[in-house]
Amino acid sequence: MPSDTAAITDQLAPSAQNVSWGWVNPWTIGTAVIAGLAIMPIAAIVWIAAAPGEAIWSHLASTVLPGYIFNTLVLMLGVGAGTILIGVASAWLVSTCRFPMQTMFEWAMLLPLAMPAYVIAYVYTDIFEFAGPVQEVLRDLFGWTSKRDYWFPEIRSLGGAISMMTLVLYPYVYLLSRAAFMEQSVGVLEASRVLGRGPWGSFFSVAFPLARPAVVIGVSLVMMETLNDFGTVDFFGVATFTLGIYDVWLNMNNVTGAAQLALTLLIFVIVLVLAERFARAKKRYYVSSGKYQPLPRYQLLGPAKWLAVAVCAAPVLLGFILPVAVLGFYASAHLNQFTNSDMLRFAGNSILLSTLAAILAVLIGTFMAYGIRLRGEKLLKTIVRIASLGYAVPGSVLAVGVLVTLGALDNSIDGTMRRSFGISTGLLLSGTIVAVTYGYLVRFLALSFGSVEASLTKVTPNMDGAAKSLGHGPLSTLRRIHIPMIKGGLATAVILVFVDAMKELPLTVILRPFDFHTMATIVHEFASDEQIGEAAPAALAIVAFGILPVILLSMAIRHSRPGHSQG
Amino acid sequence: MEGLHIHGAAHAYGDNQVLSKISMVVPGGELVCLLGPSGCGKSTLLRLAAGLEVLQEGSIVIDDVTVATKELHVPPEQRRIGLMFQDYALFPHLNVIDNVSFGLLGMARAKARAIARERLDQVELAHLTEAFPHMLSGGMQQRVALARALAPEPKLLLLDEPFSGLDTNMRASIRQMTLNVLKQSGVATLMVTHDPEEAMFMADRIKILGRGGKILQSGDSHEIYYHPNNEFVARLFGFMNTIKGTVQNAMVQTPFGPVPANGFADGEPAQVLIRPEGIVLSSGGQDGGESSGGIPVEVNSTHLLGHFSVASLKIAADRNGAQEFYVRVHKEFLPELAGRITARIDPEQSFVFADDATVPGEPMLDDLNILSPELKTLLSTGLEPQDKVQKQAEAAE
Repeated sequence: MPSDTAAITDQLAPSAQNVSWGWVNPWTIGTAVIAGLAIMPIAAIVWIAAAPGEAIWSHLASTVLPGYIFNTLVLMLGVGAGTILIGVASAWLVSTCRFPMQTMFEWAMLLPLAMPAYVIAYVYTDIFEFAGPVQEVLRDLFGWTSKRDYWFPEIRSLGGAISMMTLVLYPYVYLLSRAAFMEQSVGVLEASRVLGRGPWGSFFSVAFPLARPAVVIGVSLVMMETLNDFGTVDFFGVATFTLGIYDVWLNMNNVTGAAQLALTLLIFVIVLVLAERFARAKKRYYVSSGKYQPLPRYQLLGPAKWLAVAVCAAPVLLGFILPVAVLGFYASAHLNQFTNSDMLRFAGNSILLSTLAAILAVLIGTFMAYGIRLRGEKLLKTIVRIASLGYAVPGSVLAVGVLVTLGALDNSIDGTMRRSFGISTGLLLSGTIVAVTYGYLVRFLALSFGSVEASLTKVTPNMDGAAKSLGHGPLSTLRRIHIPMIKGGLATAVILVFVDAMKELPLTVILRPFDFHTMATIVHEFASDEQIGEAAPAALAIVAFGILPVILLSMAIRHSRPGHSQG
Repeated sequence: MEGLHIHGAAHAYGDNQVLSKISMVVPGGELVCLLGPSGCGKSTLLRLAAGLEVLQEGSIVIDDVTVATKELHVPPEQRRIGLMFQDYALFPHLNVIDNVSFGLLGMARAKARAIARERLDQVELAHLTEAFPHMLSGGMQQRVALARALAPEPKLLLLDEPFSGLDTNMRASIRQMTLNVLKQSGVATLMVTHDPEEAMFMADRIKILGRGGKILQSGDSHEIYYHPNNEFVARLFGFMNTIKGTVQNAMVQTPFGPVPANGFADGEPAQVLIRPEGIVLSSGGQDGGESSGGIPVEVNSTHLLGHFSVASLKIAADRNGAQEFYVRVHKEFLPELAGRITARIDPEQSFVFADDATVPGEPMLDDLNILSPELKTLLSTGLEPQDKVQKQAEAAE
């Protein structure tokens, strides 16, 4: 709440004022440097896109651009609608009704979060393609022999991509709308009933509108992830912006064109970010006042009960259990992959990169969170906000930005060295794991900063005051109050960034050193060659890591019933 | 048979019997107040009437229509009742006028808004139709909730602790306005509260609900205050000086003299409860205390608490000084100026009840607010009754 922050700032202001010389202090300068580095790739894209280059824009605009826009929009809208339908319906059932296995679904609904969209795309392609088991069985059953004998939906299509992403992204909407339903005071729903609206009427006129800001936040996150996706659209050959950027960059070798496309995509992103911000601002007022009672749940009976089970079970089955089973089946046939030395090296790469990104992101996030706590100036807050914008920027856009930035840096170093010492340093940073890590950091900084900041709010300024009044200095306070209280938050941040980095595909594909693979890229490569069997063990490993945040989230869910213990 | 008729309603949450066979009537146009400590089931009764809980036993009839029996449950949206929640439950996503017109279904929007505006005018909020709930003060929210509940012209209005969320300064004026609005609309109203003063102010008829969900007494404020029919009811209105004794010749002996105990058998243990304002002090000087029937007392301490004072005193003749009494005196009380002081009991403010430990539950002191704040302050100086307060509070846990 803004008033809280203001109060904290007020309390801290007097002591902070004594040691400040305006904005010249380690926190503001440090954060400004971080923000500068974080914003550089995006600035670079704007710069390059605006620079006069080959006149590719008009060419793009007259050829592929309309298709990119159409496909991207349809993809976003489709995934948005799908995730709202599944996410809101399951959240409503799970938080207001009683039916078999309801408490299990409370956390099980989150499982598909562990599944990268590209992995389930490979699995379902394997199942549903012409040579796959489903069509084979159909052909056997009905005596069809060729493609012309029957119609079967093409999985490698826009519709297929929408389905895949919906299946793995709906948990965002589920999580947020569930929280929103839980924090609605029962009174509001009862008031609606008493004023003459039935259960359905009350849902549509009160419960859903109240949850709408939360749903909007969820859907904007979903759409950001949709824009970020590279693996699925690449594999399905759906010409979206992401794919277009990759194509123009690597196949047409045209930096300006890629930057121009990236910039256009950024407009989509800005709309989403604004929608999210607006919804968050609105959400504050939508928290109904007053007391929370344990929610009385509708006891579902007869067919309604089983319908509810089906509504909740279907997404979990399709988005997690079935794909894991298929991967498990393939992996068991390729057990040697687990000991294959190449594969182990790729796993090592994944772990190295993810660990590096996680630790750095959490260190930087902690620095920024403390900066804001100790010096809550407006300037600093604005800088931090800019620095954490990367979460919304699609990986492909960021990758182009990072390449341009590092390329310029390498060139200038090279130029200086050649002029001064006659030595060419070549490309020092481009195409190294530094570039990949840089990309990860820009993208995941918001994640780590958010977790640290959230856990830091539990340490109220009065606790600092209490520790001080009891004779503890700053270091002792840090050691005995802050660290014990925020270490859970730090651990969460490390895990979240680690897992996201491990699943990350578009940034890694574009920025990785030549012939360098992580588990994600090797899965993508195998799958592109239709070697799903070889891809299965690594894919399964990624999913296994992906379970970690799911566990964290489901634990958070258990402890976060409003009115009970929060946070 | 206008109004609300509840017949033999019982309700249990699991093993916890919160209401046992309650029957009551709220006649059309009347305001009935259900007064009792928290946990006595009064909110459950409201929720049963509203249809938010399913009736387990008995029947509920609103304006001649049976809405609930063991077999029948008319859902809340079909009962045509108004319910005002303790936390108001305003819809945060709707502005004031949309909140108020929410229950006006099946009519043109313009007409609904006109009715809502009229209702808002009644609660003096016509200027805030476009505001959102989070922009309003507690008192304004309360009035919006009232307007919203009344807008669809319900057959019955239910109020759940309608003033508990308001601060003391605002309470009196909001209470007055609410009463005016209710009287104007003439709707049968059932209100629950734990605050005796609120009940006495608002109600045509008060029903005292004791622990275990039984109605202990029913009557207007005068009856309830001056003729409580049991200890629980008497104690509802605040601290009581308690004197235990045995009935002899239809009298209980007290340090202040005998108190008539009609209807008690000789030898029966009894207790006399005297309100702090039921001990009348006179300064013996000119007139001589004894002539007014009082006995000499010693004042231990006095505390000025605004327009009255509270004094603690001992019977002068009682050398052991075992029992202290608390007295409420108007204006500032300065014993050193008063000279010799005598005290007598005002028979209207003292009551005799059987002294059996199993009386329908001692009221829970903290729930009931039976101690007015000033006495709480007084008692928290570590005097004997404090222990009692604590013990009762502990027993209630």
